[in-house]
Amino acid sequence: MSETLLHAVRLSVDLAGHTALDGIALTVAAGEVVAVVGTNGAGKSTLLRACAGLLPTATGELALAGNDPRQADPAWLASRRAYAPQHPASAWDFTLAELGALAPSAAEYTRWLERFGLGTLTTRRLSQLSGGERKLAHLCLTFGALGDAYGKVLLLDEPTTALDLCRAELVARAVQASAQAGAAVLVATHDLAWARSADRVLVLDEGRLIAHGPPSAALTAELVRATWGVA
Amino acid sequence: MTRHAGVLAVAVLLLGALALLALACGSAGFGWGTNGELLLLRLPRVLAALAAGLALGLGGANQQGVFRNPLADPGLTGVFGGALLGIAFLLAGATDFTWNHRWALPAAAFGGALATSVLLVWLGRGGSSSKLLLTGLGLNAFTAAGTLLVAARYPEARDILVNGAAGDWLGTATLELAWLPILGCGLAALLLLTQAAALDRLALGEDMAFCLGTDVPRARRQGILLTALAAGAAICLVGQVAFIGLLAPHLARALVGPRHRAMLPLAGLLGAGLLLLADTLGRSLWPQTPLSAAAMTALLGAPAFVWIASRRHE
Repeated sequence: MSETLLHAVRLSVDLAGHTALDGIALTVAAGEVVAVVGTNGAGKSTLLRACAGLLPTATGELALAGNDPRQADPAWLASRRAYAPQHPASAWDFTLAELGALAPSAAEYTRWLERFGLGTLTTRRLSQLSGGERKLAHLCLTFGALGDAYGKVLLLDEPTTALDLCRAELVARAVQASAQAGAAVLVATHDLAWARSADRVLVLDEGRLIAHGPPSAALTAELVRATWGVA
Repeated sequence: MTRHAGVLAVAVLLLGALALLALACGSAGFGWGTNGELLLLRLPRVLAALAAGLALGLGGANQQGVFRNPLADPGLTGVFGGALLGIAFLLAGATDFTWNHRWALPAAAFGGALATSVLLVWLGRGGSSSKLLLTGLGLNAFTAAGTLLVAARYPEARDILVNGAAGDWLGTATLELAWLPILGCGLAALLLLTQAAALDRLALGEDMAFCLGTDVPRARRQGILLTALAAGAAICLVGQVAFIGLLAPHLARALVGPRHRAMLPLAGLLGAGLLLLADTLGRSLWPQTPLSAAAMTALLGAPAFVWIASRRHE
């Protein structure tokens, strides 16, 4: 049995009087990819943000690599988990090369630029890139920050949204490779086909966990119909 | 970085040349005087303009970085207004004390700037940077009204405060009065330069900055404290100048890009140059009816700012 790197029990989040997450339990072990699915507003992003340590007011038990991310030192936390937000944005118009200076390791970031096909665009500014290329550039920061994936937690919020088929596939492979290298990956997605290729799936609805387990058991035809209203 | 180092070196050289020119220009004619007496007379004013401009440029760049908004400027968000209001309260309460204790004026300005900054962050919390800016504009109007109220109620402080609100204090600079604020500006500038890495990461939003290992609350706290220190010290020297904190960072970003390691020092140098140029032109072009540094700054800076704004892509 692989080491559990992310563990939550009765995790709840209240955002401005609205219960965004309600008593979630989850574990993600090293080497595992766990997909989080659900309709818009189901609580996927909130779950990822809570796990990343971004919601200090979240209640319940939470442990990331053995420590509570709500109280951990930011530098230690950054060395054990990497996070990609759903809508990454920069206030300033950096070039892709300049963006690398913000990463813990510019070399790692540059390697990811090349793997994602952005290696020739390093002198371009973010405003000169397409929406998908910008999203990929920010993902390079996240994968670059992960570095050696062994024993670390990777939290990705809809990483393939805005990407073309080919680049979405590149990201899916990178996720798989990170897990194989020993990371625990929690990824929120609307792509049910991709979710079916994960090791396990968590299905959220209005902040509650309504199904979890291997994709074949969690994502049944009845549940898909009941949750998304489609067959 | 070589190109950036080159730009910074050119900026330092130009600033040095401008300072020598400023020491030679004035209502008594061109030159330093036979025994350098004109130079000594103008030195406090030139030093004050350099220090205040440096602090204003860096303070503006820092506030834009912390708030992730290119429109943030301590002059617009009420921080300068708060500093002046702090001075107004001090003058209203104890004029004698103000002039007998060199530290009283800078301390009151710093206190006012810090109080407004804290109020700004507290009132604007949990919202977008537009909310923060709108809150700042409200605070700015409120602090300006407060200063005018004090000026109206206390006639002995009126002239000083009206001149301060018009950014027209440079002419009154003496080394005796100005050394402490000059030191404050220099200290604030040095400490602000250490914020570069945190400001770079804050550009990606507080969530991402935190996830890359930045202690965001600490970075914000330091940024706000240091901007208040810069604003408080600069206000004591020049009065209220709204435009340098806005223009210098934009100009610096256009020249060396948005990374703060090069952008921050350049914004400081450009701020110093801009204020010194404005003050020198203001007192040399019309020696009989000199124009305040703030008015001249706006006259020079506004067209440049509109030009930069029109070149923005987004």
